[in-house]
Amino acid sequence: MGVRLLGIIGLVGVAAATAFGLFVVPADLNQGDAQRIMYPHVASAWLAYGSFGVTALASIGYLWKRDLRLDAIAVAGAEIGVIFTAFAIWGGMMWGRPVWGVFWQWEDPRLTTTALLLALYVGYLLFRRLTDDPARRAARAAVVGIVAAVDIPIVHFSVEWWRGLHQGPTIGSPDRVLNPSAPGQFIIALVGMVAAFTLVWLYLMIRRYQLARIEWQIEEHGRLGRISAARRKASVPTGGQPEGAR
Amino acid sequence: MTALRADAAVAWAIARKDALAELRGRQAVGSTLFFAGLVLLLFGFALGPDSRRLTEAAPGLLWLAIVFGGLLTVARLHQLEADDGALEELARYPVARRAIYLGKALAGLGAMLVLGGLLLPVVAILYGIDLAGAWLPLIATLVLGAIGFAAVGTFYAGVTVRMRAREVMLPLLMLPVIAPLLLAAVKATTAALGGDPFGELGSWLQLLAGFDVVMLVAGAATYGYLLEE
Amino acid sequence: MSDVGFVIAAYGVILGGLGVYTVTLWRRLSSVREASLRIRREADAAPPPDRPV
Repeated sequence: MGVRLLGIIGLVGVAAATAFGLFVVPADLNQGDAQRIMYPHVASAWLAYGSFGVTALASIGYLWKRDLRLDAIAVAGAEIGVIFTAFAIWGGMMWGRPVWGVFWQWEDPRLTTTALLLALYVGYLLFRRLTDDPARRAARAAVVGIVAAVDIPIVHFSVEWWRGLHQGPTIGSPDRVLNPSAPGQFIIALVGMVAAFTLVWLYLMIRRYQLARIEWQIEEHGRLGRISAARRKASVPTGGQPEGAR
Repeated sequence: MTALRADAAVAWAIARKDALAELRGRQAVGSTLFFAGLVLLLFGFALGPDSRRLTEAAPGLLWLAIVFGGLLTVARLHQLEADDGALEELARYPVARRAIYLGKALAGLGAMLVLGGLLLPVVAILYGIDLAGAWLPLIATLVLGAIGFAAVGTFYAGVTVRMRAREVMLPLLMLPVIAPLLLAAVKATTAALGGDPFGELGSWLQLLAGFDVVMLVAGAATYGYLLEE
Repeated sequence: MSDVGFVIAAYGVILGGLGVYTVTLWRRLSSVREASLRIRREADAAPPPDRPV
């Protein structure tokens, strides 16, 4: 199948980009080997935001078209987005420790924004899981997802402002103190990793979407089964033709 | 234009109904206020006894207490209808969904203003803050913060009103969204109390106002979907 | 921990995490496909007296 091929190419791509980033590209002049963390960290962050963008668009689309396939896309985007967001934060912490000396830095607006992003979408997933009625779930989740998406630019600006108006040394994100000794290879490594991760992301999205579709079908079947069982019970005393009774 | 006036009338009617219910259910309201005051007290035990540290932390602690009290408040405002199934009744009337939302948000605003207004003197006493001269910017911050919290809180209270585990889902969903409001309100309060040495008060109030507008629009636009079926 | 340690921790968790998630996705997918097949077989074997719409 085409999807399997996509997965294989993605896997090979990640392996190649990892090898390149770890062993071929020379170390950063300022940050040394720690800078290599940037490749999967940035790739994860991009795909995290991209995933949530997909969720937001799919949510709007669902409210407009009421096509459950869009709801499946939304949940896929959210779940995979949470995964990549967690990776981005982990990468940020691993990168931050050697560069700043601490695992967490409140003055890095990207780190704090990403943490809130994680909180928003974990909430979205928990909300879906705790909403019992599947018919309502899609619409309500869509609404929750849209408001979460609307919040993100606000968070971004306010956290930037927060850091900017603070009177203190400008610490900020680690990539401000980069100094690649081979800029060409640095860019290849970065772009390569992002591209490889994107292929893997696409593969995971497709699979997660398929999972959501089948889960919904099973749910629907269970629901319809309960309805027909109830109907059967209701139509027995009359002994009439069940087909006519609606 | 008449449609707008009709919406406003509906919103006002709903706000009045909620406000009356709040006034009648005085014990619930009072308990929430007392809880928020207790939170402020507890912060003193957690961060004290160094008064200087507490005074520095006061704006943050004030707004945290407002947030915690606010969570209970917005939940309560939606619980009134939910328990009686009145929310579905309300949804069946041919009124604009946004009118229902704005009415409930208005009631929420009132409740939040009462909460914040009562907590200010408590903070002043407990943490040694001099409020003199800062009244106008403090009130502005309180009003803008309350609007934003009511806008977001009304929306998420509507989202969680009949869920399992709603007591935890409301804060869980709301708090990340409220983070920029918290950040801006605390900064504005700090600036107001300190005489605004860096001239940043205006920026923070603008951020709050922007937040309020965006959230009110988003809430009004989507609240209807929460009431369907 | 030297810088290399952090690099290994970063790559290890991220790439390893991707792998773990992929495998769990496969498992969920196969279990759900199995369930779906089973339901279809049951439905074909014993059609209900009234057809739900």
